[in-house]
Amino acid sequence: MSIAIDLTNVSKAFGETRAVNDLNLQIPEGSMCGFLGPNGAGKSTTIRMIMSIIHADQGDIQVFGATALASKDRIGYLPEERGVYRKMKVLQFVEYIANLKGMHGASLRKTIRTWLERIELPEVENKKCEELSKGMQQKVQFLAAIIHDPELIILDEPFSGLDPMNAQVIGSIIHDLHAEGKTILFSTHVLHQAEQICDRIIMIDQGYKVLDGSLASIQAQFDPKVLTIEPVDSSANFTSLPGVESVSAGKTNTSFNLRITDNADPTAVLQEIVAKVPVLSARVAKPSLDEIFIEQVVRSRGTEAADAVRTELHHA
Amino acid sequence: MQYERNYTMRKALTVAWREFKHTAMTKAFLFGAIVMPLLMMGLFIVVVPLLTESNNTPLVGTVVVLAEDDVLEEITIQIERGNTTLTEVLEKLPDAITNDPIASALLATAPKSDITIIEGNPSELDSIKAQVRDGIYKGVIVVPDSTVTQNGNEDKIEIFIPSSFSPNHTDILTSATSRAVVDARLKRLSHNPAAIRDLIRRPRATATRLSNDGAEIQDNEIARRIIPMAFMMLLWIATFTSGQYLLTTTIEEKSNKVMEVLLSAVSPMQLLGGKILGQAGVSAVILLMYGSAVMAGLLAFALGDLVPVLHLVLFAIYFVIAYFMIATIMAAVGSAVNELRDAQSLMGPIMLVMVIPMIIWPVLSEHPNGMLATITSFTPPLLPFVMILRVTASTEPIAIWQIVLSIGVGIVSVVAMIWMCARIFRIGVLMQGKPPSILQLAKWIRQG
Repeated sequence: MSIAIDLTNVSKAFGETRAVNDLNLQIPEGSMCGFLGPNGAGKSTTIRMIMSIIHADQGDIQVFGATALASKDRIGYLPEERGVYRKMKVLQFVEYIANLKGMHGASLRKTIRTWLERIELPEVENKKCEELSKGMQQKVQFLAAIIHDPELIILDEPFSGLDPMNAQVIGSIIHDLHAEGKTILFSTHVLHQAEQICDRIIMIDQGYKVLDGSLASIQAQFDPKVLTIEPVDSSANFTSLPGVESVSAGKTNTSFNLRITDNADPTAVLQEIVAKVPVLSARVAKPSLDEIFIEQVVRSRGTEAADAVRTELHHA
Repeated sequence: MQYERNYTMRKALTVAWREFKHTAMTKAFLFGAIVMPLLMMGLFIVVVPLLTESNNTPLVGTVVVLAEDDVLEEITIQIERGNTTLTEVLEKLPDAITNDPIASALLATAPKSDITIIEGNPSELDSIKAQVRDGIYKGVIVVPDSTVTQNGNEDKIEIFIPSSFSPNHTDILTSATSRAVVDARLKRLSHNPAAIRDLIRRPRATATRLSNDGAEIQDNEIARRIIPMAFMMLLWIATFTSGQYLLTTTIEEKSNKVMEVLLSAVSPMQLLGGKILGQAGVSAVILLMYGSAVMAGLLAFALGDLVPVLHLVLFAIYFVIAYFMIATIMAAVGSAVNELRDAQSLMGPIMLVMVIPMIIWPVLSEHPNGMLATITSFTPPLLPFVMILRVTASTEPIAIWQIVLSIGVGIVSVVAMIWMCARIFRIGVLMQGKPPSILQLAKWIRQG
């Protein structure tokens, strides 16, 4: 499979701060790739380098086998710091960005109108951008990023600030674009969003790549430390059982997630529970990306740093 | 649909067109830069004369005079001559204005009074005053004979008028009476007042400069003072107005967070080039508008020959140099800050330098070939403003080598300033947070 984005030993520093360290990345064409990490991990800097908005201090960046600059018009980019010309009409704004991306012609306005309907904003083409709500503006910004039918779409925190309804509309379009064969690089610090839609995960922390692979392969790399139990009696007490470190509510009202101690064997603990407490179901849970990431931080930076990251993720 | 790639110039032109369209083709621009000046001109040309005319409703009615017969006769003569103050002013105006058809037409609208002068009895003064109050008479003029005889015991001339009498009408009566008394004095001494007035009227002296090439050039005060200032102001208005637009649109793109969207499609240099090019169009529109208004004014007063074609050509060259100097400064400042108020701290020292031509204008105008004028006309960024002032103010042609050198220095400076601005712009457009100091900008130039 061809490589859409190829980063080799890329580094970038701002003064004393090293934002990206010796980063190597290969993103295949047609993949839906989650680019994850907490705030300040180096995601936006990496993306800006891919877009040739800023230049790497070291290393090589190639997009579709050419320099990033030469491939600019083949990329659709929704930056994290995004905005619109407040006084411009919606149609004019999208048309202007499309023109800058090399798109001209009589059918451009028709294409924009079709897309406005698809993002559920059919009546706004002659409204000034400042007249739109923040969520509507974000959808217009998303449209400006993809209007020129790019082969590679880079979305930096595309759902931030969107209500669930609008997030679903945008999510559905991203899904469709992927189905059409577009390569999508999707950056977020809300890890469970990526877990739901990405088939490939790249995780960075403090400018270093800490994880890279398919979601299944990454989950397989980490020892399961959580058991999901649905007891017959919901008042059952699990905390006193050997090997159980903590208990939290599960995804359903009647289930519980049991975190086991680091040295415990999940299968042995599971057998112990089933033997002592009547259960409707009991299984070893797949670790979530949040848990995997925290685990990774514990390995690389210790538990104190992991606690700080856990707090940040829970607030996201 | 046509899918085009890597059309660098086309992208810059797309940016330029948006910049021009959203600056010059807006209601705010039309109102601020076109309608307002036109309205102000209209105010001067139409409204002021109209207002003046409405004030000058003719004085119609009867005025009683209590004076000797000869004084009464002189007052009657003076009143018939019309508004004497206006007549005196007109006599002092330059030929350029009184000969102009528009000005003459405006001045000719001064209304004619229709006043009947009758003689009154001094013993009935109180009764006449009562009739003035009642509106039967327009006024009563009391001229004691001592004011004519000048016997050292001069009494006051008194004019009694109704409370609602307009200042213009009062002026007609006071001026006519004063002149009448003077004429009566002269006649009593057997002099001819008209002949004496002609004798004491100051003749107009004109200076003619003898140039080294043997030509004789008549000195023209308007050309020497006003036209150079107009040229410099025109350059200022055209370049600084569009420079200000460039500053605000760049800051707007940063504060609206649209900058990164743009940079995903164009390079910083395409964006900078497009923006400067677009605002150059705006500047040219302002220049053409104000410039043509000034030229139309000069042609209307038959003063077109005061601006030779060479001056217009040099003006165009210095305009291009001035625009690029101002535009690069404004774009650099705009890219470095996030809000307009942050720009003020950077613009302060820059404006301090840029107002120097305005401050030293009187000196430059008086000594266009002096040391100060010569040095500043080779000093960027003052160079275009000072040189155009020198070219138009100097009675001796500026040496060709000085003009060529200043244009050369100007072009080199523009190239250097574009280079520095590009380095600041490239870093500045993505910079958020605290605005940089002048020293930090210098650091960006080294780093960029």
